[in-house]
Amino acid sequence: MSAAFDILLCLMILATAGIALFVRGAFAAIAFFIAFGNLLGLAWLALGAVNVALAEIAVGAGVTGVALILACSRLFELGDNLADVRTPLASRLGSAALCLGFTVMLAGVVLTIPPGDRLSKVVAPLLPGLGIENPVTGVLLAFRGYDTLLETFVLLGALVAAWSLTPDASRRLPPTTMVMTDPTSRIVAEAFTRLLAPAALIIAAYLVWVGSDLPGGAFQAGAVLAGALVVATLGGVVVLPRLDSLAARIALMVGPLTFLAIGLAGAALGGRFLAYPDGLEKTLIVTIEYALAISIAAGLALLAIGPPQPMPNNARADAR
Amino acid sequence: MSEAFMLAAMLVLVSMAAALLRAWRGPTSVDRIMAVQLVGTGMVGVAVALGAARNEAGMLDAALVATLLAAVAVSAFVRRPEGAATSHSKPNSPSLDR
Repeated sequence: MSAAFDILLCLMILATAGIALFVRGAFAAIAFFIAFGNLLGLAWLALGAVNVALAEIAVGAGVTGVALILACSRLFELGDNLADVRTPLASRLGSAALCLGFTVMLAGVVLTIPPGDRLSKVVAPLLPGLGIENPVTGVLLAFRGYDTLLETFVLLGALVAAWSLTPDASRRLPPTTMVMTDPTSRIVAEAFTRLLAPAALIIAAYLVWVGSDLPGGAFQAGAVLAGALVVATLGGVVVLPRLDSLAARIALMVGPLTFLAIGLAGAALGGRFLAYPDGLEKTLIVTIEYALAISIAAGLALLAIGPPQPMPNNARADAR
Repeated sequence: MSEAFMLAAMLVLVSMAAALLRAWRGPTSVDRIMAVQLVGTGMVGVAVALGAARNEAGMLDAALVATLLAAVAVSAFVRRPEGAATSHSKPNSPSLDR
């Protein structure tokens, strides 16, 4: 039974990926991308990698899908119907060659991993000293803290890149309003926010907390919060901050800076950079994870919704 | 007992394949987004069944997260202006920067 399940799941993943690549129309491709993310999440679950499955479902299918739908509708509003995009054959072949090369490289790396689970034998005896039972969290925040610290700045870098593409004029504008234009939809989104936001807050807090012993963690929690923020923005419950808003920047920076400050404090107290003092490991790791969840939520939500854009005057007037 | 849960997961997976067929055939975007929602719902079902079959609580958390975020995609979709310029009389200003 399990083998039949795995085979059917693999076939569905391949078919969904193929359709997402070759289907005509941007929206159909996005629909299949979301389905692909969900199926991939199931594949990770079937493999027993629940941490990866959670991240794939939350970020890959969830927030990325929302970001793509919003980007598609914004391009649509700007007059790009995304239907008659003709890519030259050379760039199609070029991207196919690049993707193939990358796949071969990944496959090569995966095949060089020696069989057998040697890493967990190294990690498992070290975990009790941290007070943490989830090996993924232990590796990410304690043994490979340096990598994770740099990764937390990657999201910030992506946001800076997106913002730096905005025309100068729109930086001084109030944020693009993403409120539903249709009044009925707006009421539904507003009411839905009041249901979703408390649930999302509790589940995000739970995911961070449970992440130290079971699958979960800051990224998944941040994605759940970002989803709630997007719906709140659509319903007009939350008004987006301007790009120069201090509060938004504090929210974006609090996670990476907390991580950095605790890392530096470890160095100052006589240990190494990113070394946690004895006995305080779990407290510090959970503190970092909560701060990171806030920053990741703000970063993902702002990325999904996109930077402000100059709008026609009448559209801005009726949106306010 | 875990065989029964595995069978349930398998059946839900087959129904997800049917939903994918609808998403592929369309014809309208509403059909597609509803079919993708069905895939998402099926995914939650399979995650719960797998979690029960293997007795792993973390899989229920994955189902919970998927449930929360599936609704967000539909909300974003509803905002999408169907035939943008006509329904909201939003002029397509040529000066708009992309």
